[in-house]
Amino acid sequence: MARVSLRSTLLAGAFALCVAPASAQVLEAAIDQSPAGLDPHIITAFASFMVVNGTIYEGLTAIDKDLRVQPGIAESWTVAPDGKTYTFKLRSGATFHNGAPVEAADVVSSLKRVLSKDIASPLASRLAAVDTINAPDASTVELKLKEPAAPLLTSLATLAIVPRGFEADKDSLQKQPVGTGPFKFKDWQPNGFIQLARHEGYWKKGAPKLEGVKFNIVPESATRQVGVSSGQYAMLPNIDAATALQLKGKPNVKLAETLELAYSLVGMNVSRPPFDNAKVREALNTAINRDEIVAAALFGAGVPGGPLSPALKDWAVDVKEFPCYKSDPAKAQELLKAAGVQTPVAVTMIVLPRQDIKDIAQVVQQQLNKAGFKVELKTPELGQFIQDWRNSNFDLFASTNAGSPDPDDYFYRTFRTGGSTNVFKYSNPEVDTLLDRARATTDTAARKADYAKVQKTLACEGPIAHLTYGQLFTALRSNVQGFEIIANRSLSSLADVSVLK
Amino acid sequence: MIGRLLLNRLADLALVLFSVSVIVFFMIRFIPGDAVAIMLGANTEVTPERIAEMRARLGLDLPIVQQYAQWAGKALRGDFGTSLWTGRPVLDEIAVHVWPTVQLTVLSLVIGAVLAVPAGVLMARLRGQAADAAMRVVTVAGLTIPSFWLGIVMILVVATVAPGLQALGYVPFSQDPLGNIGRLLLPALALGLPILANLSRLVRSAMLDALSQDYIRTARAKGVSERKVLYKHALRNALIPFVTSVGIMTGYLLGGAIVVEQVFAIPGLGRLILGAIAERNYPLLQATILVVTSGFVFVNFAVDLLYLAIDPRVRA
Repeated sequence: MARVSLRSTLLAGAFALCVAPASAQVLEAAIDQSPAGLDPHIITAFASFMVVNGTIYEGLTAIDKDLRVQPGIAESWTVAPDGKTYTFKLRSGATFHNGAPVEAADVVSSLKRVLSKDIASPLASRLAAVDTINAPDASTVELKLKEPAAPLLTSLATLAIVPRGFEADKDSLQKQPVGTGPFKFKDWQPNGFIQLARHEGYWKKGAPKLEGVKFNIVPESATRQVGVSSGQYAMLPNIDAATALQLKGKPNVKLAETLELAYSLVGMNVSRPPFDNAKVREALNTAINRDEIVAAALFGAGVPGGPLSPALKDWAVDVKEFPCYKSDPAKAQELLKAAGVQTPVAVTMIVLPRQDIKDIAQVVQQQLNKAGFKVELKTPELGQFIQDWRNSNFDLFASTNAGSPDPDDYFYRTFRTGGSTNVFKYSNPEVDTLLDRARATTDTAARKADYAKVQKTLACEGPIAHLTYGQLFTALRSNVQGFEIIANRSLSSLADVSVLK
Repeated sequence: MIGRLLLNRLADLALVLFSVSVIVFFMIRFIPGDAVAIMLGANTEVTPERIAEMRARLGLDLPIVQQYAQWAGKALRGDFGTSLWTGRPVLDEIAVHVWPTVQLTVLSLVIGAVLAVPAGVLMARLRGQAADAAMRVVTVAGLTIPSFWLGIVMILVVATVAPGLQALGYVPFSQDPLGNIGRLLLPALALGLPILANLSRLVRSAMLDALSQDYIRTARAKGVSERKVLYKHALRNALIPFVTSVGIMTGYLLGGAIVVEQVFAIPGLGRLILGAIAERNYPLLQATILVVTSGFVFVNFAVDLLYLAIDPRVRA
């Protein structure tokens, strides 16, 4: 008895103490993971990108919600007929958060910083084709390339422009970012929150509309859901189907959704049996039933996908054109027989330790075991997984990759002989020729034809069985206006968001 | 007496800290995948030369014994280095995370330990009566309900009853004293109620044990009031196991209540340590573990002092 009254007294106290003062137009968002740092040229985690890309930082170009290249800090650009010289004209009136105007010297310094050995930026390879970076005058930047590089404009959207002076400084921006975006950094309490405030000198007139954005770091999914249902949080950006479906139909909560660029996959090691045999790879693809994976592991919120996301409408080949996508266990068994391997084919699959991937891997395991394989699943800790992945120490792995708006960015490094993420050791001279040719021309129609051929070759015999592209969701309070969800997870549209009273 | 105890404890502390630092240093490095691998993640495009450069930048390319010697040398001079990921000084990161944990520890001990004494005494006094039985059932429930579940239920209840209430997250006391305590109440309850259940049972049985001793009968025969018998004679003896338990619990609480911190989105030491392990943030992890270990040792020291105050025989 005594305890009950005590508890109610304390709760009543809590009620009285912490009724929120209505904070004016600061959008409260909740994200699951703490960013590991805020330097745009060093970070690699989804959580970090989400907080800084398009909000604090902008590149020379930008990617819109249809995944097409738009002007960013560069107002316009021209490409020389030989495809080897890009001349960018900078936007007048763009300023950094420290008040300085954005000049060509800042852009040159930023791109050189990405290439610098001191910074050791993992993004350096995106500028691999660049030979020289110059500033003919204060508002013009000129990039000369060693060879033509079609994906350059897309890549530049991911390379943030920072003020000059950070070329050898690898610590400052991690803690105290300075960019050109609609929001400037205000405060960061590790594991607590990151707060951004309106950048008064933002080049786009009338933006941003919000006073600021606060990213609360809330690791527990149930807590985030309660927070958005009760109105403490106005936004849960980039959540998966499982979380979104639980919020569907909650009063005053709405969902924005789009098809993801990221995809789930099964990777095959081509440098050792049995997946060195193209027939076995085709058998695996034929054994997999992608519709079933969407239904069982993604709660129906997704689509079967080939080597490119259907979200890339300009590039992706319809999966109906891939013969092996017609799931047929009997045919898979025949293919295994024709390949001359002993059935059941016993293989181990290492699984990325993430719930959605574990779910998918279990469905795949059952499908493969019905079609002449005998799959053992292993879910190592993340560090072990990455190590095995990098050292090509696997038969099969199940994972997820973030896609890219330009096909070259994914295909070249993954499927080109010797590509930097070709851990499968895949080598196909025909594919190599097509990839080399498609990156060296800016003729979109020709590139499209080449990438269509690449997709058809890779879909059934490549080292990756592409499984599904999930639906990506953002949960919002219904009074949040103007948000556009973008498949690459950028929150750049926060610049146009306002909160109705 | 106290001086000698303090010296002993300081010697213990030095030994414990050294051993812990060695164990943590080598164990975290035995886990496959180092900081650079985790930083880059799976499927990022980097050449082996880039990885080597990053490793060199973080000093991870040196032989492991040399890395330890460098770290220990600096640590002895008070320099614990910077976080591998954010570049912020490790001690700054710890300072930010210590306060929520200390506050949570104190609040849940206030709820758990302070109330446990009257509750336990009450149960002992009412022994055999229906009220005692009822309270014991409640305490068993309190013992078996996990804190994280209690936490989620409380969040759901509060969100339903008072949706406007800001019950999640953490604000520093210096910024908003009322908001700070308001937000910590629910997590402190989630942590404190199981402690209350545990400790009140302990006080009850220790009291019953003490009350059956000969000296209690003697005291009663002398005509000492029942109140005085309970609180002066019995309770004082029952306090020794209680203080030991509270000490151990305090030590654990100071290490961070990871699950409750996760549920209530509180940036405490538990999440700091968990994150540091997952990120292979070696300097941060080492320093944090040392801080937590020191906390444990000092709590033990405080418990020893309490023994001295409670039990004159220890002083002899």
